[in-house]
Amino acid sequence: MSAPVAPEPYESLWRRLPERLRPRSSELPGRGELRLIEGAVLILVGLLLAVATVNDVARQAGVNHRIVADLRTWRAYTHHDYKNVAADRELLGTATNRDVVCGNTEPGPPKQRPQICLVVTGPTRGGLRTVSGGWYLPAGTEDNVRSARYGCFGSLTTGLCPK
Amino acid sequence: MSVVAAGERLPLEVSGRARWAPVLAGFCGLLALAATVEVVLDGAVEHSPLIPKQPAIAGWLSGIGERLGFRVFLIALIAASAAYAGLLALAYARGERAVPRRWAFALIGALHLVIFLGPVLLSTDVFSYIAYARMGVEHGINPYLHGPAAISHDEIFKYVGHDWRQVDSAYGPLYTLISYPLAPLGVHGALWAMKVEAQLASLGTLALVWRCAKARGKDPLPALIAVAVNPLYVIFGLGGAHNDLIMMLAMMGAVALTLTPREGEAGSRREAGAAALIVAGALVKATVAALLPFMILARRRLAPVAGAAAALVAILAIGYAVFGREGVDLVSALNRDASFVSSDSFANEIAHLFGKPGVFPIDHDLLKGALVAIVLHLLWRTWRGYDWIAAAGWSLLAISVTSTWLLAWYILWPLPLAVVSRDRRLLIATLAVQAMFIVHQMTPLVAPVS
Repeated sequence: MSAPVAPEPYESLWRRLPERLRPRSSELPGRGELRLIEGAVLILVGLLLAVATVNDVARQAGVNHRIVADLRTWRAYTHHDYKNVAADRELLGTATNRDVVCGNTEPGPPKQRPQICLVVTGPTRGGLRTVSGGWYLPAGTEDNVRSARYGCFGSLTTGLCPK
Repeated sequence: MSVVAAGERLPLEVSGRARWAPVLAGFCGLLALAATVEVVLDGAVEHSPLIPKQPAIAGWLSGIGERLGFRVFLIALIAASAAYAGLLALAYARGERAVPRRWAFALIGALHLVIFLGPVLLSTDVFSYIAYARMGVEHGINPYLHGPAAISHDEIFKYVGHDWRQVDSAYGPLYTLISYPLAPLGVHGALWAMKVEAQLASLGTLALVWRCAKARGKDPLPALIAVAVNPLYVIFGLGGAHNDLIMMLAMMGAVALTLTPREGEAGSRREAGAAALIVAGALVKATVAALLPFMILARRRLAPVAGAAAALVAILAIGYAVFGREGVDLVSALNRDASFVSSDSFANEIAHLFGKPGVFPIDHDLLKGALVAIVLHLLWRTWRGYDWIAAAGWSLLAISVTSTWLLAWYILWPLPLAVVSRDRRLLIATLAVQAMFIVHQMTPLVAPVS
């Protein structure tokens, strides 16, 4: 059973339009050129989306490898094998490859102890990256990192601390 | 001799295939169910990055599984997707000979039950819904003027997603009104009520998919399976108790009304009712309004216009009376949400493909332009006789693909329309987009962060 075909409403009104502009209750059987064009566009768009998806998975995998190196660098530098260490790629700009890795200076719940943050840069060598600076954060710091940091050290971050 | 031999061999091959098809379908169904059970049982154990902080509604399940990590979740998602693909292929190719109706119903019932008993999966949205309801009912605060941060002392606040605490409601006034009676039930009661609401909306949508497929002369079984066993539908949509399910119920209700053959006065009433349902759905979540112009163009009668106008006036009047001007200003909420960017959006992926760090304001304009062009083309096609249900489905798919804020349950919107439309390409395109979305989730599997 298909949808009901009702008589065309306002037929006299539509008759005033040229034939190619009139509404139709069902499509004219044609040579399928429009369908062919639509199909080609759909395939092209599908290919673009598929390539973009695969590219993004590969890009994100690269980022993940970098974050793994960041976390390993923090643990090696601080000699603390803590689980809750967080890497931030956005604080110093996503295009810079400079990541900020923060973790507690002593055992305790995440961010509930004073934290040490390291700015890590450069390529990964032997599973580690270069520590180019850093700062400390008071316990409980969540969002206001720029105003809360203190004790800045290293070539990249000297002078960044407000006090 | 050889003719006889060939003739003897053929029925054996057919019967062999016929014997294996239900076995394979049964295996696919069990695999889909097992994958869902695994996610739910592991999700019931706390401290997972995939499970939002929530009241302990599934605590009694927590002793069975292990903490849900990305690896197990993604493997379960792949398994559920593969099972879904197999089941769907069998259902479309061999119908009830491969997937008996009772099996399908049992599987769908089991999936719904497992999700109902488990924790809220993968999203904090349901806690925002409850927070907005509690703001209005328990605290006398307009949820269209303030975010949940205005009730930071309320028990629900700690469960609201961090990014949404300052954000006022983007949902339609009808949805907020529907959720108000749940607020006095307390956080636990409201959460269970939201889960019941999602389950009923889902079952209603599935019943309407069945009915619409039959009305269109299609086999309703594969159409039902395509929606109900879809892993994004089950795990993300139903698992998160999203209000998109209520929107989809209104959408399919409207489609069902237009597909029921009636002449004259009764037909006009049904068309007016269908348009009113779309408006009601849009006042739950605005996206479904995309169906209305296609329905009106396809019917070319006054009844749907009158029905839509009457529903719009009635619901907006109530919304205005309860929430004031902000409660009926859906355009501002849509514009605000359109400016968000999610890492899963195709726009963001394409920006990365072309070496850009993300989506820029000019990209938003380009995407809106592309969407307008697609919708205009579909409107013209509908005017000239193309299936309006397919056109509406393409529009919803285009909205999700061009949106910079894409979430798993957004790419469910076109699915119920795709399975009842007359254009098979829509179902293929919808499933392809969903498959790409799932592939995009796989990074933690190929490059885990520890």
